[in-house]
Amino acid sequence: MWSTVEGRFALSILLVWVFMAVLSLVWTPQPLWATDGQQVWQKPSHNHWLGTDGTGADVFSWLMAGSATNLLICLLTVACAAALGILLIAATVSRSALVANTSIVLVDALISIPTVLIALILAVPLGASVVVIVLACGLGYGLNLARVARPQALLAARSDYVIAAQVSGASAGRILVSHILPNIMPVVAVQLSLSAGSSVLAESGLTYLGVGVSSGVPSWGHSLATSVKLINVYPLTALWPGLLVTLVVLSLNLFGDSIGDAIDPQSNSALREAA
Amino acid sequence: MRYLVRRIVLFILALWAISILIFASLRILPGDIATVMAGINSSPEQVAGLRLRLGLNRPLPAQYGSWLKDLVHGDFGFSMLTGRSISEQVAARASVTFPLVGLGIVLALVIGLTMGCLAVMARSTRLRSFCHMLALVAGSIPVLWGGLLLILLFSRGTGLIQIFPSQGFPDTGWRRPAEALQTMALPAATLGLVVGASITRYTRSALNDIAGSGWIDMARSCGMTRNQALMRVGLRLTLPQLVSVVGLTFAEMITGAMVVENLFALPGLGSGLITDIGNRDLIAVQSELFMLAAFFLVIGLIVDLLHRLLDPRLKESTVTGRGRS
Repeated sequence: MWSTVEGRFALSILLVWVFMAVLSLVWTPQPLWATDGQQVWQKPSHNHWLGTDGTGADVFSWLMAGSATNLLICLLTVACAAALGILLIAATVSRSALVANTSIVLVDALISIPTVLIALILAVPLGASVVVIVLACGLGYGLNLARVARPQALLAARSDYVIAAQVSGASAGRILVSHILPNIMPVVAVQLSLSAGSSVLAESGLTYLGVGVSSGVPSWGHSLATSVKLINVYPLTALWPGLLVTLVVLSLNLFGDSIGDAIDPQSNSALREAA
Repeated sequence: MRYLVRRIVLFILALWAISILIFASLRILPGDIATVMAGINSSPEQVAGLRLRLGLNRPLPAQYGSWLKDLVHGDFGFSMLTGRSISEQVAARASVTFPLVGLGIVLALVIGLTMGCLAVMARSTRLRSFCHMLALVAGSIPVLWGGLLLILLFSRGTGLIQIFPSQGFPDTGWRRPAEALQTMALPAATLGLVVGASITRYTRSALNDIAGSGWIDMARSCGMTRNQALMRVGLRLTLPQLVSVVGLTFAEMITGAMVVENLFALPGLGSGLITDIGNRDLIAVQSELFMLAAFFLVIGLIVDLLHRLLDPRLKESTVTGRGRS
């Protein structure tokens, strides 16, 4: 993965992200709540690396603290999506035709519901919170994962070695773990890292709409949303969070592509020769 | 046929499940719905009056039953705030949202298909990877930020090139199409660019898969050049897949549409729904959420059936492709 320019770029950005997120838990250049009414909309300076926003808070510190929130959302969403997706795939390759067909048609029917609608429905009782983003995105991306990995899973389920395993008495769980999951791993890995990117984008959209991260919690979407109102006067403040989100999402997408190339024997020539 | 029946039954079940989810999420609100709607400064009598008027003192199953009955009859209730019927209100908002999404998707298709084909067919390697990288970067831009950049570049008043208005929708609506279209330009362009990027990526990967297949080899052995074969044979083969992708993109586009409507102050479905949630007009929210969900389920159904229509190979197989036994 380190061997391509894209892979190196993506990995470095993601490592910096994780480092910043961990560091922000113990240290930020300026305290988050040290707002100075005299110093609103400052240009970047020695004290405020990226300037200050409308309340006089340090933009860089807020973005740094936001990286921890976004990392948390990202990881939780991917975990939810993976759990749901693999559960649905397990149902798809189940030997009971009823379970298999129901899970397939259910995914087909529910996949057309946009995540933002689920988020809005959940936000009415729960209020704006991280939980809303994680549940809505986890559900949406889980369904997506099940749909995308379906052909490979079905192909694997019908292969000779799975039939051999069935004949020799392996349980359904064992077949799933040791035969079907390794087969769909490339697709799952790619899809999950695309989902991670989408969750960062979704956070910024949902937070702007008022159903994402609650106000007062630092996140990139929050930084972007608060700088929107005075965009015409202070365009620079809105520039940073947007640029940051774009960079991170781009890296997650590139990361997905490189993972796919690295572990898929059909596109990785080194693996193909070894096989 | 069996798939069709199963799919439609599931469609109705999904619609029903969504209605329960929406109903339940509005009823497990901390405090009850009437207290929330009446606001903080209301007397207990006002709350009781509201509860009586909305039928909220009845048991939950009865409330759900009468809501469902009204839905089936096409009666979506009245907004507490404006007093207008909700179907009227939704129709007015849809006259902004549908043209916006329509323009956006046309733009996205033009950009996406052109760039996607270029990324596979262009003769120079540099142009091919340029198209690919451009799509990757554009697809990583948050809609909100993309809209902001377009405002900074093109908006009347503050932009670098001042040609398009950046806020609001004319009160005259579509009676003056030129003015209305102008206000749509930047929002639709925002949606089109972001969605076009993802369509580019799908088109590229679908065409790339096909390009190495036997069909293209066959077409070339009949005397077509690689690009002729891709255009005439390849695109037709990827069509079912692309239809599915566009359908799914359409569903994801609504998030973008909501953000864009808020950013550009367009009175559409998305911004209207957010306003209603903010105003605690919960009866309206309940019906509007249901209508939107129903709309997307219908889109999903159409896309699925279209996919099977366009791909005759799927017709014979059953859902799991295990053959009829």
